[in-house]
Amino acid sequence: MSAGVGVDLENLWIRFGDFVAVRDANVNINGGDFFSFLGPSGCGKTTILRAVSGFLDPSEGKVLIGGKDMRGIGPNKRPTALIFQNLALFPLMKVWENITFSLEISGASAKERRKRADELLDMIALPDQGDKLPSELSGGQRQRVAIARALCAEPDVLLLDEPLSALDLKLRQHMRTELREIQKRVGITFIYITHDQGEALTMSDSIAVMRAGVIDQIADGKTIYNDPNTAFAASFVGENNVFRGKVKQIMGNEALISTNRSGELVARISSANQGKLKAGDDAMMFIRPEAFAIAADGASGDHFVTARVNHEEFEGNVFNIFTEGDGGKEIKVSLPNLGQSFDDHTGQNITLEYETRNAVLVPAGELAAE
Amino acid sequence: MPGFLKEFFNRNGIGMGAAILGLVLFWTIGLIILPQLSMLDFSFRPNLPPPEIGGPKDVYTLENYKYLIYGPEGGSQSYNAVDLRVFFRTLLAAVCVTIFNLILCYPIAYYLGQSKGNHIRIFAIMLIIPYWINEILRAFALRIIFGETGVLNTLFVGLGIWDTPFDFIRNDIALYAGLGYAYILLMIFPMYNVIESLDKNQIEAARDLGAPWWRIHWRVVIPYAKPGISSGCTMVFMLSAGALAAPQILGGPSSLWFTQLIYQQFNDNNDWPQGAAYAIVLLVTCILFVLAMMRLFKVNMGDIGK
Amino acid sequence: MNNSFLRVSIWVYLVIFFLYLLGPLVIMSVTAFNSSAFPRMTPWECLTFQWFGELFQDQRILNGIKNSLIIGAGTVVLSVAMGLAGALMLTQIWPKLRATYYTIIIAPILIPGVVLGISTLVFWDRINRMLGLGADSFLSNGIFLTVIGQSTFIASYCMLVLVARLQRYDVALTEAALDLGATHAQAFRKILLPFMRPAIASAAVLAFLASFENYNTTTFTFGEYPTLTIELAQKVRYGITPAISALAFIIVALTVFFALLNEAKLKRQELVAAARKSATVEELAGKIKLPSFFAGNMAAVLLVVFAVATITVVGTATAYNPGQCIANVKEQKRLEADQRIQELRKQREEQRKKREAEEAEQGGAQQSTPKPSNNSGFGNVFAPNTLGGDAEEESSDTETPPSNNGGFGGVFDPNSLQTDQ
Repeated sequence: MSAGVGVDLENLWIRFGDFVAVRDANVNINGGDFFSFLGPSGCGKTTILRAVSGFLDPSEGKVLIGGKDMRGIGPNKRPTALIFQNLALFPLMKVWENITFSLEISGASAKERRKRADELLDMIALPDQGDKLPSELSGGQRQRVAIARALCAEPDVLLLDEPLSALDLKLRQHMRTELREIQKRVGITFIYITHDQGEALTMSDSIAVMRAGVIDQIADGKTIYNDPNTAFAASFVGENNVFRGKVKQIMGNEALISTNRSGELVARISSANQGKLKAGDDAMMFIRPEAFAIAADGASGDHFVTARVNHEEFEGNVFNIFTEGDGGKEIKVSLPNLGQSFDDHTGQNITLEYETRNAVLVPAGELAAE
Repeated sequence: MPGFLKEFFNRNGIGMGAAILGLVLFWTIGLIILPQLSMLDFSFRPNLPPPEIGGPKDVYTLENYKYLIYGPEGGSQSYNAVDLRVFFRTLLAAVCVTIFNLILCYPIAYYLGQSKGNHIRIFAIMLIIPYWINEILRAFALRIIFGETGVLNTLFVGLGIWDTPFDFIRNDIALYAGLGYAYILLMIFPMYNVIESLDKNQIEAARDLGAPWWRIHWRVVIPYAKPGISSGCTMVFMLSAGALAAPQILGGPSSLWFTQLIYQQFNDNNDWPQGAAYAIVLLVTCILFVLAMMRLFKVNMGDIGK
Repeated sequence: MNNSFLRVSIWVYLVIFFLYLLGPLVIMSVTAFNSSAFPRMTPWECLTFQWFGELFQDQRILNGIKNSLIIGAGTVVLSVAMGLAGALMLTQIWPKLRATYYTIIIAPILIPGVVLGISTLVFWDRINRMLGLGADSFLSNGIFLTVIGQSTFIASYCMLVLVARLQRYDVALTEAALDLGATHAQAFRKILLPFMRPAIASAAVLAFLASFENYNTTTFTFGEYPTLTIELAQKVRYGITPAISALAFIIVALTVFFALLNEAKLKRQELVAAARKSATVEELAGKIKLPSFFAGNMAAVLLVVFAVATITVVGTATAYNPGQCIANVKEQKRLEADQRIQELRKQREEQRKKREAEEAEQGGAQQSTPKPSNNSGFGNVFAPNTLGGDAEEESSDTETPPSNNGGFGGVFDPNSLQTDQ
């Protein structure tokens, strides 16, 4: 397989009347990558997808596919195939006719189409299901038919608009692996839209985190998770505890902040903000629930937090402790279940300890809605 | 606007977009708006032989409308009593037919809308079949029934209820029955559509609170069904006021329908502008009447046709 | 107890309602088989099929059917096309224009048909004159005008039917087709059109029926091409015969037949869909067989009963000869008429005798002219005034030609028929 065809967005603006759906997006997607746009609903990620597939004309800027400007080229002429959120399988066509619709358009004979359909049905592990109607398939099967239909058109870029959102949890997790495998097998560029960070993290080579039309950060999953650029990225991807405060002192890549509630704490400045954050700036520090450990009572210092426990819960793989936190939000602590015994701390003060590399400091900003 | 057009063509493609737009424009402008305007214009012109149309005598005039009110010039009466009486009688009769139909159809629409089961579909077919039969034949069927030796008279005279045959036609009973008959479906259907979507629990709740059946209808069902009721009433009123076949076949010799006057102007008197003026008067009056009624009962135009 | 009373009254009401709705059609259909020259159910004379024969020999009716079919086809094509375009436009029009647009395309349903007919006539006449075309141009052709006039409002009906289904259409399907390389026209033909097919079929049937039965609009536009409805109206206005009942019977029978057929088909589709849900493909191939077409399908059963009844009637019609019966009735009526003539003669004889006696009493100076004898004995019986019910029935239309009352004249006068058959 070739290295695949890349997609570039250059200074892309999309407006609907006065409403700005996408604000100055600049993205370079490498050929053959699995690239995700991750953001809450209404953040403009679907709009970007529609601009790439050709259903929307950008108000400003360019969409380039394989380096070629796509302006004025309709969706039926672009080397993209879109998998719709609701799959949009043609309800009146049989499964095999659905899959080979693109061949029907290009005038292939029925025999040819049947053959290709059987190949693709084998690939998606649905042999002998070609004569059914889409309505007679299960959700996961329909999902795979939609993928086969899109792949049958032999696109350079496959666009997926939250295709797993209608499936139940088990199936969704299974389909993640399957999608990733298919992508590796066919080797073409996948652009994936989702609001589910789990999907984005498990499948993607690169992720763009979007908020209200703006792309906050583009990076691989690990970086997004461990080294977020903004308060939004930090709070949207994975669970995170926020500590608000002011930067007191910059110490190289680290900083001391005086938090509103928990005294002075030390944190690592996120890579993108190193050299930008200055003493006196409003800032937010994020620590993941699993990054805390319970310290001995009475321990204090710039990487200890003391708080009163509101309640506790046992989740199986982890034990969760919720303490009073900043701005009315609780601090969540997840201790891995390694067979140790857990004391009931409800109503008591406990001291939590973290390592500086696990506390990330970003400028104060908008948090993701719960 | 150009933005809208651009989006429209983007969405439908140039060819399909042009076909859709072309058909819609032909329909709305070529078939609906321009002919009505043309008729309006025509109604203000004198009746001229074809060679003189567009000539010096072809000027705008109110003659045709004056005729409806004052009658022929130099006529013996100061008002065109005959035509005016026909006009108002038509409107009044159309209102009566509408009310009759509403009362007749409401229970049926309610029953159909709130019942479930296979027999409802059979009922629906039985409702629709008469509507598929020719309008003329429906009137003809009623004429067989209401005739002097028709089924009704034979029955009643045979039973000894009446001594002599009753003239249903001369008394306009046949006409009203025929008009009501013709538009039953148009009354039931909109009401049925609305009542069908009424949550049965609302009625149950009202019943549970001890409301008698008439109060349930008055306070729950009828307010809910108002769009359907007004839609049905509007259609029945407009269509019965504009009916032609039923009055021609079932109407008594002495009672003309206003549409029959229009028909006479066109076909017997060959006075098209006069006929057009009468048609305009009928159309405008009916629309104003319906709008007034809708305002009175607080209904929106958008509900009509649902 | 209150509940059961309510239920009974609902059913009574339903029965009365459907009697009102269907009774006239049944009675009209039955009159097609009565040999009485005036369409009536009572008194029943003879079972006859002569009116069907008469119907099929009526050139004007046949010509009307031909015109109706041509105009119906044209109207179906034009109104379904305009209705579909109108519905598509409605789903994507600029929101600010939407209400106005909806009002415009729904208005033709409410505008009286007479007004539509007149406006069509006036408008196209003007276009015709503007283009300098003669009275025989295409634009003043009755078929063209009627199709245009009818489509104006029938397209609104079609639009309502189509938009209901269009609202359930997922635009993503068209987009998916485009995305897979289809042109807009291909997406329309391969995706949207198949989806809309059931609604288009309904709209087409509705349009055809509406066109076929339309009178108010057509009566102004038909020109040289009277439709069946126009011909019927002419006939009904100037005198009614059972041949019209025969036509009505055919139309009713066809309507019922197709309604049942459609219902049976729908029901079958439902059953098939239900079966498919719980069956694999292999099972399906063998499972849906004829017997299950009837299982739980009342409409299908009715359909079969109906078909058997039709075959029986047609079979009887070919074998049955009402000649004897008609002759009997004729003979009986002749006898009764004779009897009445005898009575009349007797009466006159008595009167004359009485008068003669009176004159004789007065001396017989003045000889009166023997006026009554001029009328002959048959006179009064066949005089139009004594045609009884038939003539009076037509009295509402002064132009009624007496010939429409049938050749038998007073012989079939119901008043002269005392006993039932």
